[in-house]
Amino acid sequence: MASAANVNNLNAVRETMDVLLEISRLLNTGLDMESLSICVRLCEQGINPEALSAVIKELRKASESLKASENTTN
Amino acid sequence: MATLEQKSPNVLLQSLCCRITGKSEAEVAHQFQYAVRVVGSNYAPSIERDEFLVSEKIKKELLKQRREADAALFSELHRKLQTQGVLKHRWSVLYLLLSLSEDHLKPSSRVGNYGALFAHALPRDAHSTPFYFTRPQSLALCYGEKSGGLSASVGTSGISSLGVYTLNGPTPTPQSFLASQPPQSAVEVTQPLGSRLAWALPVSNSVPSAVAPPNTRPSPAPPAQTTRVVNRPRRDGDSEVSEAALVRDILYVFQGIDGKYIKMSAQENCYKMDTKVLLCKSKCDTSSRLAELGWLHNKVRKYADARSLDRAFGLVGQSFCASLHQELKEYYRLLSVLHSQLQVEDEQGVTVSTENSLTLRRLLVWMYDPKIRLKTLAALVEYCQGRKGGELASAVHAYGKTGDPQMRALIQHILSLVSHPIFNFLYRWIYDGELEDTYHEFFVASDPNVKTDRLWHDKYSLRKSMIPSFITMDQARKVLLIGKSINFLHQVCHNRTPPVKIKPPSNSADTPKEAAELLSDLEGTFQEKIDSAYFDTSKYLLDVLNRDYQLLDHLQAMRRYLLLGQGDFIRHLMDLLKPELVRPATTLYQHNLTGILETAVRATNAQFDNPEILKRLDVRLLEVSPGDTGWDVFSLDYHVDGPLATVFTRECMGHYLRVFNFLWRAKRMEYTLTDIWKGQMCNGKLLKTMPELSGVLHQCHILASEMVHFIHQMQYYITFEVLECSWDELWNKVQKAQDLDHIIAAHEVFLDTIISRCLLDNNTRLRAIFDQIIEFQNAQDSLYRTALEELALRLQFEEKKQQKEKEGQWGVTAAQEAEHKKRIEEFQETIPKMRSQFRILAHFYQSIVQQFLVLLMTSPDESLRFLSFRLDFNEHYRAREPRLRVSLGATRGRRLSNI
Repeated sequence: MASAANVNNLNAVRETMDVLLEISRLLNTGLDMESLSICVRLCEQGINPEALSAVIKELRKASESLKASENTTN
Repeated sequence: MATLEQKSPNVLLQSLCCRITGKSEAEVAHQFQYAVRVVGSNYAPSIERDEFLVSEKIKKELLKQRREADAALFSELHRKLQTQGVLKHRWSVLYLLLSLSEDHLKPSSRVGNYGALFAHALPRDAHSTPFYFTRPQSLALCYGEKSGGLSASVGTSGISSLGVYTLNGPTPTPQSFLASQPPQSAVEVTQPLGSRLAWALPVSNSVPSAVAPPNTRPSPAPPAQTTRVVNRPRRDGDSEVSEAALVRDILYVFQGIDGKYIKMSAQENCYKMDTKVLLCKSKCDTSSRLAELGWLHNKVRKYADARSLDRAFGLVGQSFCASLHQELKEYYRLLSVLHSQLQVEDEQGVTVSTENSLTLRRLLVWMYDPKIRLKTLAALVEYCQGRKGGELASAVHAYGKTGDPQMRALIQHILSLVSHPIFNFLYRWIYDGELEDTYHEFFVASDPNVKTDRLWHDKYSLRKSMIPSFITMDQARKVLLIGKSINFLHQVCHNRTPPVKIKPPSNSADTPKEAAELLSDLEGTFQEKIDSAYFDTSKYLLDVLNRDYQLLDHLQAMRRYLLLGQGDFIRHLMDLLKPELVRPATTLYQHNLTGILETAVRATNAQFDNPEILKRLDVRLLEVSPGDTGWDVFSLDYHVDGPLATVFTRECMGHYLRVFNFLWRAKRMEYTLTDIWKGQMCNGKLLKTMPELSGVLHQCHILASEMVHFIHQMQYYITFEVLECSWDELWNKVQKAQDLDHIIAAHEVFLDTIISRCLLDNNTRLRAIFDQIIEFQNAQDSLYRTALEELALRLQFEEKKQQKEKEGQWGVTAAQEAEHKKRIEEFQETIPKMRSQFRILAHFYQSIVQQFLVLLMTSPDESLRFLSFRLDFNEHYRAREPRLRVSLGATRGRRLSNI
C-alpha cells in the first residue's frame, strides 16, 4: 500500500513538474528541468520568489559576463 | 526529485548556482554567498500572495504579446496544476516563472536577428536610453537581453524600426499594411510637418501594437508609453501632453496607481498634476477632477484591505468589507472596460479615435455616477472608522436616510449585507437561546462569571451601543428577554423540550436577501416575529413555572405563613411557642422550635396544605445579642431554590423576614394586651376589697385601653389596608403577567409597598411603643403580684383570727396586730410609688405615640395620614400637641389647594 501511495505521489509530482516545465517554456524563463525543480523546491520551502528570481538573474549575468570575458580572452 | 526533497535551502541554492553558471561548487562560492544573502535578506516582502493575481498577470502578459493561444494553454496548465495539489506555494512558483520571463521574452521572440538589430539600433540608441533608465536592471543584464531591450525600444521609437521588421522579422508581415498605415495615421492626427521625425511621431504614440505583427510584437505597453512620454517633448518641442496619454494616465490613477503626470502628493493628500508637465488649464482641471476618483478609491480600498484581515473586526465588519469589495469589483469592471476600449483604440490606430476614442470629457461624463458612488462609499468608510458590530450597522443605516434613490439603494444593499450577521445572531438567540458572538458585536451581552442562580438577573444585559438604529429599544429588550427565557428554561428549569409553537420559521435570514427583505419591513414582519417569539416563549416559561414549579402556590404560601395570613395556624403556633420564647434567646434550640412548628401545622388547617409547601417551612433563629429573649430572635423561614429563587431572591427573602418580624411583634403585642386585659378582669373583683388600690388600678385600665385602641387600629390598618390591598394588586398583576420580569417586578413592588406602609423604614417609634407595652405588662404584673400577695396575707390573717376566735382565744395578739398593721402601712406606702411609676409609663407612652403621630402626619403616603387620623380619633393627642394641629391644617390646606 505504502509503495503504491508512493508511486502515486511520485507520479503526481512528475506530472506537476511537467506542467511547470511547460509553463516555464511558455514564459521563456530559460530554466531547464533541473534548475526548475530546484527552484520549485526552494519556493515550496517558502523562499521569497522575488528574491530568488533576482538571484537567478544575477547568476545569469555573472555567468554571461564570465563567458564574455572568456570569449574576449580567447 | 524525491531524494532532494529534504535538502535545506542552502544546499538547493548551491546546486542552483552550479547549475546556472555551469561551474563546480568551489568556483561558485562567491555567487553562492551572494545568493544566500539576497534570499536571506528576504527583500521586497510586499508582493501579492495571491495565486489568482499572479496567474492573471501572466495571462495578461501573454495577451500583451498577442499570444492568445499560449494564454489559453497557460490557463489550461494552470488549472491542471491546481487540481494536482502537490505544490503548496503555487503562487510563489508562478511568480518566480513570471519574473524570470520578463527578461527573456524579448530576446527569445527574435533570436535570430541580434546582429542586424544591433547594427540598426545603435545609431538610435540615444532615443532609447530613457527606457533603460526606467528599467535599470535590464541594462545590467547580458548582451542578448540588452539587444532584446534595444529592439523593443527601437521598435517603438522610430520609423526605421519598421524597416527592421520587414527586413528581418521572422514572420513575414504584409508590406502594404505596414507601408500604408503609418503615413495615413500621421496625416490624420497631427499637422504634417513634412519631416520624417514628425510623421514618425504619431506612430510611436499609439500605433506600436497595431503595426507589429500579432505574434512577434514584443513591446508591452509600458515601454511604449515611456518612450512616448520622453520622446514627445524632445522631438517636436511641444510641451503639451497628448490627451490619449492623459487618459491612459488617469485610468491608472483610477486604480490608485501613480501615473506619469498625475501623482499622489503626500503632503496635500490628493492627486496632483506633475508641475513639470505643461498642460492647458481646462485639461488640467478636468484631469484633477477625474483624479479625485483615485483618491476616493484609495480611501475605500485602504479601509477594506486593512479591515478584511483583521479577525477581531468581527462578522459584521467582515461583511461590510465584503460589500465594499463588491462595490470595488464593480468599479474595477468598469475600469477594465475602459482599458479594453483604450486597447482597441491602440489597435485600430488613431484614425477612428476622433469619433469614439476616450477623451477626458467622455471620461468625466462616464465616471460621473461611479464617482458619486465612490464618494458615498468613502464618506461611509470615514464615518464607520472605529466602529464595529451593531454600531457599524447603525452607522450604515444612518447613511440610508437620503433622498437620492440610487444612493439609498446602494446603502440598502450594503446594509442588507452588514445586517445579515446581526439577524443571524438574533435568530440564533431568540429561537435557540444561543449566543455565538465571539467578537462582541451583538447587542446582547453575556457575563460568563454569573452562576445559574443569578442567571435571570445578572447574566445577560443589553449593549446599548451595539443596538442597530433600525431596531428599537423596545424590540431589543424583548429580544433580550426571549433569549434569556430560553436560557432560563434550559439551565435553571432543566426543561429542554422546545415549546411546541416556537419553531423558527424555516431558514429565516439565511441569505442577505432575506435580511434585506426584513429590513424593508421592520415595523411589520420583523416586529411580528419578535412579538410572537416573545409571547410564545414567555408564556411557555410561565406555564412551566406554574405547572412544574407551582410558582403561584408558593407565592400564596408566602402570604399565608410569612405574612401571617393563615390565622389559626399563627395563633396556635404563638400559643405553643409562648413558654419557649419568654426564655433567654441563648437557651433556645432550633430543633425544639421545629418540633413545635410541626405540632402547630398538624393541629391546624395548615395540615391540608401541599406537602411540597410545608416541607419548605422552617424555623429560623436570628443572631442573638445579649439580653434578647426568644421573642426577639424567633422567625419563620421559607426555603426557596431553583427557578423559585429567581422570583424570591435573597433580597426578597430578607424583606420577607423583616416584614415577618414586624408582624410577629405586632401580633405579640395583641397577645400581650389580651393577657393584660384578662389580668385586669380577673383581679379586678379580687382587689375590690382593697380600696386603696382603686386609684392605681384605674390608671392601669386607662393606659391599657389606650394601648388596646392603638394596637387594634394598627392591626386593622396592617391587615386590611396594607397586606390585603397590596396582595390583591400583586395577584392581579401576576395573573396578567406576560413574562417573568413582570412577575418579579410586581413582587418587588408588593414587598416595597408593604415595607414602606408598615413603617419599617423608620420603625424605631413603633418599636418603642411596643417596648412600652411590654414594660407596662411587666409593671402591671408586678403590681398584681404584690397586691395579690398582700391580699392573700390579709385573708390568711383574717382566717387565723376567725379560727382563733372559734377556738375561744383572742383573735390576735397585740404583737400580731402590730405586725399586721405595719405590713399594711408598708404596702400602702408602696402604692404612691406604683402610681408614679404608671404615670411615668403613661407619660412616656403618650409622648411616643405623639411623636409617632407627628411622623405619620408628615408622611407623604396618604394611607398613613388616614391612619394617624384613625389613631387619634377623639383628637386627644391633637389637643396636646400643637404640631399635630398645624400639620393637619396644613395638609388640609394643601389638599384644598390641590383641588
